[in-house]
Amino acid sequence: MSEAYADIMLDGNIMIKNLSEGSVNTEYIISDIKTDDPELKNFLFSLGCYEGEKVKIISRLAGNLVISVKNARYSIGSDLAEVIII
Amino acid sequence: MKIALAGNPNSGKTTLFNAITGRIEHVGNWAGVTVAKKEGAVKKALNKTGVSMSVVDLPGAYSISPFTSEESITSGFVKNEKPDVIINVVDASNLNRSLFFTTQLLELGIPLVVALNKSDLLLKRNLTIDSEKLSVLLGCPVVNTVSTKRRNNGLVELISESAGRVGSQQISPFRSPKVNLFDPSSVDDADRDRFSFVNDLVYKVEMRKKGSDKYALQDKVDRFLANKWLGIPVFAMVMWTVFAISQTYAGPFLADLLVGWIDGLYVFVEGLIDGKVSPILQSLLLDGIIGGVGAVVGFLPLIMVLFWLLAILEDVGYMARVALIMDRFFKKVGLSGKSIIPMIISTGCAIPGIMATRTIKNERQRRTTAMLTPFMPCGAKLPVIALFAGVFFKDAAWVGTAMYFTGIGIIIAGALIVVRITGDTNARSYFIMELPEYRIPSIKRATSSMLARGKAFIVKAGTIILLCNAVIQIMQSFNWKFQMVAEGDESTSILAGLANPFAFLLIPLGFGVWQLAAAAITGFIAKENVVGTLAVVYSITNFIDTEELALVSGGADVASIMGIGSVAALSYLVFNLFTPPCFAAIGAMNSEMNSRKWLWAGIGFQFSMGYSLSFLTYQIGTLITTGAVGTGFLPGLAFVLLISGYFAYLMKRDDKETVPQLKMSF
Repeated sequence: MSEAYADIMLDGNIMIKNLSEGSVNTEYIISDIKTDDPELKNFLFSLGCYEGEKVKIISRLAGNLVISVKNARYSIGSDLAEVIII
Repeated sequence: MKIALAGNPNSGKTTLFNAITGRIEHVGNWAGVTVAKKEGAVKKALNKTGVSMSVVDLPGAYSISPFTSEESITSGFVKNEKPDVIINVVDASNLNRSLFFTTQLLELGIPLVVALNKSDLLLKRNLTIDSEKLSVLLGCPVVNTVSTKRRNNGLVELISESAGRVGSQQISPFRSPKVNLFDPSSVDDADRDRFSFVNDLVYKVEMRKKGSDKYALQDKVDRFLANKWLGIPVFAMVMWTVFAISQTYAGPFLADLLVGWIDGLYVFVEGLIDGKVSPILQSLLLDGIIGGVGAVVGFLPLIMVLFWLLAILEDVGYMARVALIMDRFFKKVGLSGKSIIPMIISTGCAIPGIMATRTIKNERQRRTTAMLTPFMPCGAKLPVIALFAGVFFKDAAWVGTAMYFTGIGIIIAGALIVVRITGDTNARSYFIMELPEYRIPSIKRATSSMLARGKAFIVKAGTIILLCNAVIQIMQSFNWKFQMVAEGDESTSILAGLANPFAFLLIPLGFGVWQLAAAAITGFIAKENVVGTLAVVYSITNFIDTEELALVSGGADVASIMGIGSVAALSYLVFNLFTPPCFAAIGAMNSEMNSRKWLWAGIGFQFSMGYSLSFLTYQIGTLITTGAVGTGFLPGLAFVLLISGYFAYLMKRDDKETVPQLKMSF
């Protein structure tokens, strides 16, 4: 539902989009992992989820996303998806 | 010499471990099944060195730096225990991610051998990996393995390569630059360098054919099975099918065969000893031991079939999807998505299930999960379900299915209550779980998993249950003056005397007779005992055969001997399933919670929950079927209201001890 509004210009600035606003079956390039938690950042990193890597949303499930990174499938919660900036 | 198996979650370490050692440790096609390290000796057939070799199976890790509790076990072992050789199990179909960990392991200086596992999948994927080139680039041997195959699986080569590496110096192809660990950006840069090194490596050795989207089908299936709306009904259908097969069709058929043999044994032994030994010994042998154990063993086929089907589901990769479907509910009630793993394991046995809570980082979530996971009906509770479904509900599959869903319901409600009581409502948890690929299940793997679980059951039947039934038989045969109890005076026995006060408390639940109370009490030693004890106290040793209404073998006869209606029977079933688990599981709860306060609170909660639910089942059921409430309604209601009032008070109370915190748990 928020997808349609994700690209709306706000005061002339393009809104930053995170993965939870992405659309299914589209490949995105991760531009940033936005979190204060170094542990989380490192963990995502060891899965190959970091700046410059490709990520694809396979399906959505009530706040959970199934994503594909480096030939593997993960299910992530929405709080995690919001950390991944595309 | 010691070999350590290290690798990403779900890369096949435990399957490899089982193949190397000949053990049957539990495996599942999903991440996070192994929580503690396991050790075993290398099979003679593989070990050509003459030196004794042991292998250690470690929990999966994505990286050497510990971010998760499984990873800390793994990196701790590798760093402190200094194995002679590390076998790095690499999932060939996900080389890129796996090699990140490999390059870290290479830097430890311990000789490394890479097992390129699941190499049978490469063909299907239109992938080729040049393992010789990879070996040169990494500076360590690379062996293609297929740990699921019996022959030509590369294991002999893997072990001999490992033995050959002992004592050699491991050179690392990638040297991480001097990292200042206190500067996050410096760590970041080092990691980035590592990944780009890995990317180059993969580019050199892996050939992917264009246009092969191997996941297309899997993703389609996932859109259906892990769908927001369809997920739950599909899961219910799957569970119902599993129960229909195991409890209604295949199970009873096999059980009939087995019961026939046990009856044969009974008659044979009776013929041997009849009139030659004292009546006490005769009844102890026949009704106590053969009858009691036989009643439990008679359910073995039903359980085995169920375990086998669950193993198939796990092997296919469906269980990980169930975790995904359930996660949204768990998140809402303040548990981690990881809490589902212990619960699924608990469908086999609550003890390893409770142990699996170890991977949950947040302490409150861990304790809550350990307290709630025994509500999942375990393998030992199945004979009880099967008995009551068979005697009172014509083997209907809905009975078992309903019990599973009731269990899930209680867990969700219980989690909500605990969150409110502890006041720790602000803890959020990140959820991430790798979804394994679907695969064709293996009959062999499912069978060995079934045998592994069934073995524990048979051992229990042969030891603890045997002992219990003998004791019960003795307590039932004598009165307090140690005289034989006469025919028709059963209520004067020691057992009746001990169980009577408890039976009084059970009147509002619809089964206030000492026999049923005694069976419920022995259930705490092992839940299968409920069946055995009922067989002993009612002297009915053949429960299952509902076809031929032969001597005390018909369900209707059993029902009339017990003298309770189907509503009370359902209430009794609920009571046995949802009160505290057996003592062994309580012991596991104690060790995982490590807090007396939590342990007693947990037991109190479990008892209150079981009692209240059973009360509601009986009273509401009686109201529906007869139009009036059952016996003992008012005192029971008062008691239930008292318990719920107390919990409500605890939930309302402001708990100042807890501090809201954002905790991470994946």
